Amino acid sequence: MLDLLWLVPTIPLIGFLILTFTQGKLSEVPAGIIGAGSIGLAFVIALLAGIQFIHSDAPFFSQHLWTWMSVGSFKAGFNLYLDGVSLVMMFIITGIGFLIHVYATGYMHDDPSFARFFAYMNLFVAAMLILVLGDNLLLLFMGWEGVGLCSYLLIGFWYTDPYNGYCARKAFVVTRVGDASMALGLFLLFQSVGTLNIQDAMHIAQAQWPTAGGGAGLATAVTLLLLGGAVGKSAQLPLQTWLPDAMAGPTPISALIHAATMVTAGVYLIARTHILYMLAPDVQYLVGVIGCITLLMAGFTALTQSDIKKVLAFSTVSQIGYMFLALGVGAWNSAIFHLMTHAFFKALLFLTAGSVILGMHHEQNIFKMGGLRKDLPWCHWLFLIGTVALVALPGTSGYFSKEEILGAALAHHEGGYILWLGGIAGAFMTGLYSFRLYFLVFWGKKTHDGHEVMGWNLQGPLVLLAVLALLGGYITIPVGKVFPMVAEEEPALMYRAIMIGLPILGILVAWLVFVKGVIDTKKLAGSGLGAALHRFWFTQWGMDWLYDRVFVFPYVGLARLNKSDFIDSIYNGIAKLTLVLHGLVSDTQTGQLRWYALTMISGVLLLVSIGVFL
Amino acid sequence: MLIDLLQIILLTVTTVAVMVVTGFRRDHGLINALTQTGLCAALLVFAVIRPVTPLQVTPLLIIDEYSLFFSCLIIIGAIAVTAMAYPYFEKHHQHNEEFYLLVLCGTLGGVVMAASNHFVSFFIGMEMMGISLYALIAYTVHAQKPAKFPLEAAVKYLIMSGLASAVMLFGMALIYAMVGTFEFPLLAAATGGLDTSLHPIMLVGYLMIIVGVAFKLSLVPFHMWTPDVYEGAPLPVTAFLATISKAGMVAVAMRLLLAAQAFSFGQITVVLSLLAAASMIFGNLLAVMQSNVKRLFAYSSIAHLGYLLVVVIAAAAVPELLSVESMSFYIAAYFFMSIAGFAVLSALSNAGKEMDSITDFQGLFWRNPWLATVMIVVLLSLAGIPLTAGFIGKFYIFTTGVEGQLWFLLTVLIIGSSIGLYYYLRLIYTMLQEPHNNLVNDPAALKLPIGLNVVMAAMTVAIIYLGVYPTAFIKTLQSLASTL
Repeated sequence: MLDLLWLVPTIPLIGFLILTFTQGKLSEVPAGIIGAGSIGLAFVIALLAGIQFIHSDAPFFSQHLWTWMSVGSFKAGFNLYLDGVSLVMMFIITGIGFLIHVYATGYMHDDPSFARFFAYMNLFVAAMLILVLGDNLLLLFMGWEGVGLCSYLLIGFWYTDPYNGYCARKAFVVTRVGDASMALGLFLLFQSVGTLNIQDAMHIAQAQWPTAGGGAGLATAVTLLLLGGAVGKSAQLPLQTWLPDAMAGPTPISALIHAATMVTAGVYLIARTHILYMLAPDVQYLVGVIGCITLLMAGFTALTQSDIKKVLAFSTVSQIGYMFLALGVGAWNSAIFHLMTHAFFKALLFLTAGSVILGMHHEQNIFKMGGLRKDLPWCHWLFLIGTVALVALPGTSGYFSKEEILGAALAHHEGGYILWLGGIAGAFMTGLYSFRLYFLVFWGKKTHDGHEVMGWNLQGPLVLLAVLALLGGYITIPVGKVFPMVAEEEPALMYRAIMIGLPILGILVAWLVFVKGVIDTKKLAGSGLGAALHRFWFTQWGMDWLYDRVFVFPYVGLARLNKSDFIDSIYNGIAKLTLVLHGLVSDTQTGQLRWYALTMISGVLLLVSIGVFL
Repeated sequence: MLIDLLQIILLTVTTVAVMVVTGFRRDHGLINALTQTGLCAALLVFAVIRPVTPLQVTPLLIIDEYSLFFSCLIIIGAIAVTAMAYPYFEKHHQHNEEFYLLVLCGTLGGVVMAASNHFVSFFIGMEMMGISLYALIAYTVHAQKPAKFPLEAAVKYLIMSGLASAVMLFGMALIYAMVGTFEFPLLAAATGGLDTSLHPIMLVGYLMIIVGVAFKLSLVPFHMWTPDVYEGAPLPVTAFLATISKAGMVAVAMRLLLAAQAFSFGQITVVLSLLAAASMIFGNLLAVMQSNVKRLFAYSSIAHLGYLLVVVIAAAAVPELLSVESMSFYIAAYFFMSIAGFAVLSALSNAGKEMDSITDFQGLFWRNPWLATVMIVVLLSLAGIPLTAGFIGKFYIFTTGVEGQLWFLLTVLIIGSSIGLYYYLRLIYTMLQEPHNNLVNDPAALKLPIGLNVVMAAMTVAIIYLGVYPTAFIKTLQSLASTL
């Protein structure tokens, strides 16, 4: 089955092609079967191939499909590379992807562009699989850009509303900043190691780059540039501003692309190139710091949001911050582990939120919800499961991965303690904002009626995801052969108590404030300092405001100044010149024979005299 | 020896047969089929001839792979012209049988030129083709409703061509006066015997021959006749002019220049470079706003022959092999593109009404996707877009030019090609626009004979095949270049 690995990205691609070339003429049922079925099939093959791979006990499996291009010494193959990390990613992409596709057949029911939706989704899955399975930098970049494109297409899926188009554009442009940085990093890497193959590149870098002097500078430069790409795609500081806007897309998209898979590509990238980061410890620590700051900032912002999906979006930013933190302290496998558990519970949360939104007739404001636990019992229980996993209550999947990360931070010798402090503060915030969301939506006074939207394709995937969110922590991911071993130290009892206790404290505070009403949040947000803080946090710490002033407005101003583009005028000038010359030479075509004969004789004289007198 | 001359013999026999049959019975279909059969036979015997090449047949002709390549191209062109002529004339024109006679004579002239190794056969072949063309261009003069102004075009071509022949003949006479031979292979030795630098009379002689060649290839400044004659002639004849008459001349001119070692003389390369540069610039500039498609193709052919001349000039600095190889590739690519392009034009037209205004093409894609697709492939290839023969051809020119360090000509080539892109794309754009309804010949209602469809399909496939997988063809060309 391992030889069929190439089918895993190919089947979704075929699904995309079928759905595209039928031009949306397929009705919902066949379109849904093709759309979700192709991912299901890919998952089955991935599963069989994966099982065989694990049993084979080989460190990796690579499959040469064909030579893409070969020019001189430059050679790029279309090769797939499967190891523990790409295996986990492949399972997440096809498995969670399949569940989300199934859910989407229910969620997108009656949408006029049903087939287009699944076409984009399939293309996304194919691109994401190429991203994680490609064995060289070119394929990686192709997949990377492919998922970016699909993200753009899907955020702006309901394009008739100009706001959605704006959000899609914003996501595209902001990630483009990161992508440019990453492309430079890849160029620099290729230029210095001379190979496109990722594994070869890592080994050459490890062997040839001296750890001090010029080589260290090279490692720092490459890793910094790659980090630029990673923070762009994974919505970390300072490029996190696009993710909340990306919630304009349909909810299954938010679950698949903007929670479970694409946004974690940055984590995958850094894990994939971890050897380079180990050569540049300063940059690696910077990764952890970025993660730590991002998780705290996003936590505060999540606390002030009123849109159910935006709270979840900021919580995603915050959780990816944990993964970055893990990468920063060298807990590579914990990062991938948290990536997986996060995919479980965040997909569950988003999809359940989608069901709530459906049940509330497309209402997303949590202050217009409340007391929904009677009306939406399914949603209530599923959402609660997702939330406790997010908060990392002991026993849930989130607990295992987050505890590993925090433990690793604590054990990290230099500066790990500060990261740990940030991490546990974040854990408290997580408890607070998650249960604020949960209490506001499902407890309190009922203001609007909701009705449960039922269907096997809605509830089925949710239940499976809920099982994974609860029990996914017991899965062992087979990445031991990929990453260097980290000696695990059991943190002291006191630290463990703190790590378990703080989220619970957060829940308690949330309960006191939002259920019991110990503190009047409205009054707090209305007072001077409170209002300022609320506004500050609500607007993502003023990041959008800042970027607008620093980048957007000057750029728009420049564009306005250069309305009649002076560079264009060069080209227009060339076109005008061509026209003038055309006018001149076409006047010579008089149609008169005597003139023709004259030019001919002059031509003879001219040529002969040039020849003779030269 | 007879085997070597088989192509020429078969063409002659066909010509006579057509004449005889026409004498007894005027039957358009029969004569067309007879011509077609004769041409196909002449094309296929190349397989018989090839093993016994090269062979010098009398001092006049040499049959080698090089001449065979060109004669095959020429005969393919003639087959295409014959296929175009049937629907073009049938039911729209009376007395069409002599047309095929003239086509066959002209083709024979071209084949003789391709094989000629001697000034006499060169001149005979050229005039044979020229005289056939005068009549061909004016062929529709008695039609009740002639498509264009065939008589005007024919008279213009007659006078200008006469002038060019006179200049060329004078040049040949000057050379004969100096070296006392008409045979190409003896020229180099005779020149070397005179002096290290070329004697001025020899030089003038060569230059006058070049003028004659430049006229037939319509290189600037001897191009004036081209658009008028292209426009005035009936479309199958225009196709003949654009392809067959050019190929024969290119073949013999290249053979002459190489045999005489003309490239070792700076003056000749300078003059050729001026011709090439002027043709590339003027040809493209003249085409920019042209609204008549036949004239557009005329100007485009001026530019393309200019490109072709670049590789010929490169022979001065690169191995002759490479130069001949790229030249042959480009002429073949140009041949296929021109044939396919004119086949589409001809399919849309007939002797009573030609669709040659750019507005006639508006919306063609929606009315007749097949013809429009062929035309789009042709135009993309003419513009040199990748995956077409035109791209590989231009790539070849470029490589050869870089090898020969012809930076000036390459710059002009780039400028010329980028201007060219405009008018090719403009035509494609027009074809993709919304159709309008005031058309005389409705392209959607066309019923094309199978022969013409086969020609178009074969040429389109050839263009794409050469663009995607040129290796096999290039190998053939390398082998033929090595025999020259």
